[in-house]
Amino acid sequence: MNWLPLEHLLLEAHTGRAVTADLDHPQLRQHALQLAAELQNRGVKRLALYLDDASDLAIALLAAWRAGITVLLPGDAQPQTRQRMSTQCDLWLDSVNGLLSAGSAALPPAALNLDQCQLTLCTSGSSGEAKLIDKSLRQLANEVTALEQLWGKQLGSATILGSVATQHIFGLLFRVLWPLCAGRVFLRRAQPFPEDLQRESLACGTDFVWVASPALLKRMGNNLDWNALRAVRQVFSSGGALPSETAAELQNLLGQWPTEIYGSSETGGIAWRQGGELWTPFAGVELGQNSEGALHLTSPYLPAGHREQTADAVELQADGRFALRGRLDRIIKLEEKRISLPMLEQALSSHEWLSDARLGVVQEGRAYLGALVALSPAGLHALRNQGRKTVTETLRRHLAGHCEAIALPRRWRLLAQLPYNNQGKLAQATVEALLAEPRPTQVEPLSAVEQDGEWQLQLIVPLDLAHFTGHFPQTPVLPGVVQVDWAQQLARSLIKDLPPRFSGMEVLKFQQLVRPGDPLQLSLRFDASRGKLYFAFRNGEAPCSSGRILLGPAQ
Amino acid sequence: MSDLQLEIKTLIIDALGLEDMAAEDIAADLTLFGEGLGLDSVDALELGLAIQKRFGIKIDAEAKDTRKHFANVASLAAFVSSQQTA
Repeated sequence: MNWLPLEHLLLEAHTGRAVTADLDHPQLRQHALQLAAELQNRGVKRLALYLDDASDLAIALLAAWRAGITVLLPGDAQPQTRQRMSTQCDLWLDSVNGLLSAGSAALPPAALNLDQCQLTLCTSGSSGEAKLIDKSLRQLANEVTALEQLWGKQLGSATILGSVATQHIFGLLFRVLWPLCAGRVFLRRAQPFPEDLQRESLACGTDFVWVASPALLKRMGNNLDWNALRAVRQVFSSGGALPSETAAELQNLLGQWPTEIYGSSETGGIAWRQGGELWTPFAGVELGQNSEGALHLTSPYLPAGHREQTADAVELQADGRFALRGRLDRIIKLEEKRISLPMLEQALSSHEWLSDARLGVVQEGRAYLGALVALSPAGLHALRNQGRKTVTETLRRHLAGHCEAIALPRRWRLLAQLPYNNQGKLAQATVEALLAEPRPTQVEPLSAVEQDGEWQLQLIVPLDLAHFTGHFPQTPVLPGVVQVDWAQQLARSLIKDLPPRFSGMEVLKFQQLVRPGDPLQLSLRFDASRGKLYFAFRNGEAPCSSGRILLGPAQ
Repeated sequence: MSDLQLEIKTLIIDALGLEDMAAEDIAADLTLFGEGLGLDSVDALELGLAIQKRFGIKIDAEAKDTRKHFANVASLAAFVSSQQTA
């Protein structure tokens, strides 16, 4: 292959060098130089790019760099993001079409300055604010050069196809910048579905390479023509770890291990692996650990002399390789999307219906978020008068403006307060264990006191009883049968030697509705001579229900 | 609502963990992805697998735009029945 350094892509026109199926290098260069002139005329200093088309992105990036414009790649195109960016950028481009016309003026060709050309990536930071990460062209150039040295021979003249967006570092390097420098043709559009990836792979007429996400590789399905797909030169996966069974299955289907890249927007590539647990660092990446065991590194893909601390726990091996041991902070990945739990919790808690919120991951089929929320008085009022679904739907809609759809909690647990421990802490493991549990059907008494054979219990009706879903969707009411059941269950836990068999009920009265969050007093008395359990629920002075449960010996 | 549509709605709710959602909440013409029901790209992949498994069909990887059938429950039901009789 004919390698062109990243900084020389706009220098000379290379006739016959293809970029995509319908764009060659001279055209790319011409478009970029024209766009550079246009952007300069408009006085753009900082430019946000959100382009679906990888060749448009290549043109716009090179143009901006040629014109001395800093480029920002937003992580998403949410209205809030666009609004935030509007204060930081002069122009947001979704498409380059409007800015390119056939005969328009162009800047003269020139080499790009490796240290002055800048790119800013966006990701979720630990503080909750979107984090901006500056990269110089030198860092990016070092990385694509290293990738070519490692795998250039293996890839040959294969066409590069990908399922991942080019807005993030993995897609940007592997789908755009590396192939541009190597002279490999790349597909303009991301192919997020297995069928489309197969069709485009088999249609490209040459060898092909996949740049894919674990989200896709985990879900390829058996409707594909795996025999034909074995022609794939190499499969790159990044953004999150590939489960070992997925890697092994791909090895079985394709006759080769997928190549996983470990890294982040901040660090660039750190290491790679092909099967197995251990990661091999890229050349020149120097690893170390802080006192908590979290990885830090220096790297040719970082600013010179900068040591980047990660929150990934690692186990370093004597041979220089390492194993990953999970994250030490509350930034999580859901299907490769980095999500800051503190940010979402902050956004969620700002709703007037909530006083507190904690999020955790629920692993059932796919992984998604669950929310453990404490309702404010207004939230409790809403729950009692509009029902659970209105509450959770409203909270989801409230959050939708702050995050991508993938981060919207699918499971909700409504509480009066969150279960902090004595030190005021609530461990993530506790949050996730509570989210994994089904909604409650029983009640825990706050207190239980006996006097002269009569028990007095204080209860609070849980906000999130499973019974409320159908009884009734818009006005949750504690069913009478549940009240009788609670009376009997609680009596059995308190009063010894109750006859085991339920044999009927007498003089049942339901006088007042019992609703989520109601404080109840329950009195229980067992008349052993008659085999009758007397119960009465009151809410303050108001009787709610009462009756006698007939209990008899086992039959 | 046809039985097949009902089955697809239930499959969507179960396979994707949609709490507080009942089959009658998903209109046959409700857009499933993005706006409407608000499913995401991973749901699209999951649903593709779940539909193939449940109904014993294969999404044709040769044909273009097969994902158009995933627009809503009505189009999915039409797709499933056409594949089952094919």
